[in-house]
Amino acid sequence: MTVSTKHRALWRRCIALLLLIPAIALASPAPSSGKKLKIGVTLHPYYSFVANIVGDRAEVVALIPAEANPHNYQPQPDDITRAMNIDVLVVNGIGHDEWAFQIIKAAGRGATLPIIQANASVALIPIGGGQDGVKVVNPHTFVSTTAAIQQVFEITRRLGELDPDNAAVYRQNALAYAARIRELRAGFMTRFAALDLSSFRCATTHAGYDYMMQEFGLFVSAVIEPRHGVAPTARQLANTIDAIKKANVRVLFAEKNFSLDLAKPIEAATGVKVFALSHITGNTYSPDEFEVAMRENLETLAEAVEFTQR
Amino acid sequence: MPSDHANSAIKVVRPVSGRWESLALLLAVLAVIASVAGYITLRPQKVGPPITLSWQVRSFDGLGAVDQAIHSALLPAGEEIIWFNNDTGGWITLERAQKILLPPFYRDAFWKTNGEVQWQLILPGTHQPHAASGDVHADAPVTPPDQTANKVSQATQGQGATVYYGSGGRAPGQSAYLLVIGHAHAGVMWANQATIWVHRDPNAPYPGIVKPESLVGDGWRQVIPYNGASEVERVKGTQP
Repeated sequence: MTVSTKHRALWRRCIALLLLIPAIALASPAPSSGKKLKIGVTLHPYYSFVANIVGDRAEVVALIPAEANPHNYQPQPDDITRAMNIDVLVVNGIGHDEWAFQIIKAAGRGATLPIIQANASVALIPIGGGQDGVKVVNPHTFVSTTAAIQQVFEITRRLGELDPDNAAVYRQNALAYAARIRELRAGFMTRFAALDLSSFRCATTHAGYDYMMQEFGLFVSAVIEPRHGVAPTARQLANTIDAIKKANVRVLFAEKNFSLDLAKPIEAATGVKVFALSHITGNTYSPDEFEVAMRENLETLAEAVEFTQR
Repeated sequence: MPSDHANSAIKVVRPVSGRWESLALLLAVLAVIASVAGYITLRPQKVGPPITLSWQVRSFDGLGAVDQAIHSALLPAGEEIIWFNNDTGGWITLERAQKILLPPFYRDAFWKTNGEVQWQLILPGTHQPHAASGDVHADAPVTPPDQTANKVSQATQGQGATVYYGSGGRAPGQSAYLLVIGHAHAGVMWANQATIWVHRDPNAPYPGIVKPESLVGDGWRQVIPYNGASEVERVKGTQP
């Protein structure tokens, strides 16, 4: 073998290597594309919101079991495992899911896991009816349509920042979902338009429905629980019964998934009719759970208003 | 002698430590004071609600129920309007708002309960307010559209902001409203985001110039939403 032949062979190898490098680089998967984002959620409505926003472009992971009551939830080992494997977590952040922060801390993700505060841009309103004149933030922004849409938009915007490849799809899905929620609301608005809402007075056992009431120009006259999830004392209960009688309240909204222990004595003492609204906490997570629950809530609200017109 | 005897009975016992206890106690007290002072200085601060300036109003406790409801509806509407503009380059007209059932513009029970506000869309640089969408009370004095258009066109020329202007609300204590949306490329303040303004007079005329200083001068107040981000900051506190 001559020297020139040796050089030629070496050159061929170098050129082949140079051609191979970009070919190998192109053949390997891109770092982020193709990998579905795993999005953790804390509450049932957020499962529905995120599932409708992402469609099949990402995976939605519920942080806690579906049947768990978020009001008094104690974190479990499985929750920590789930928290270790998600890419981002969507939270209410202003109530109901404080336990999520214990879970992510226990999972060692406290400093690294991106958190989406669904309520970050929602204009909060105070709890209606009592509270001794003190304006306390109502965290139930998800029991509504308008504030729900605002949260869908906020989640969409933040997910788009984390997953820019799918941002446009997320936005289109969010707009379509918002349109469906508005359509649901519009159906009941037509029904409400025929009713006189000016004399409607109601009380609630749980301060969960102000955002929904706001959409129909309705107000809560009294709330039985003195604070979120706290049972009233005998004195507080007596004061509330007085307030209900004075305000000529005819309707009491209890919580569908909670005990009626509080509602029954008030019904007996005041003669109010009890209706049950949902906090949107069911036994299964599903994309349409929010719409189903809100349809039922709006149906119940319409029935209650119609009852007072008789 | 008895006194000599007494003196000889007194024996002064010196502490083994040579009186270091007093110094140690003093140092310990100083250390505790320094620790407490350090904690007070460096502890997470509980922040109160955002303080509004004289020309601002807080949505949470500064607005009446009707204004609060309209403000809550304007926020997502503003977001959707901006997205629509980003995607299509156009604006959601009041006619389209009816088709897509967009509150607070959509005329439903919400609109009726919250004072039947009359909305106008004022587009940047087109000199054409979209007032001809029927957003006028049947018994309200009607301004000829051309006249309104001329006034608005002169006032908004070159401002680059799109404005949804709501007035004539009939609910007691209700305000007039402005949803001002800036354009990034137009170089206006608060570009690419919506700001909401209210005026105590529900029949306040369109302000003409929608720059903040002019709005403030005309008696408009910017609404500062008390939102989830503010609440989280209040509850968890911030580092000084």
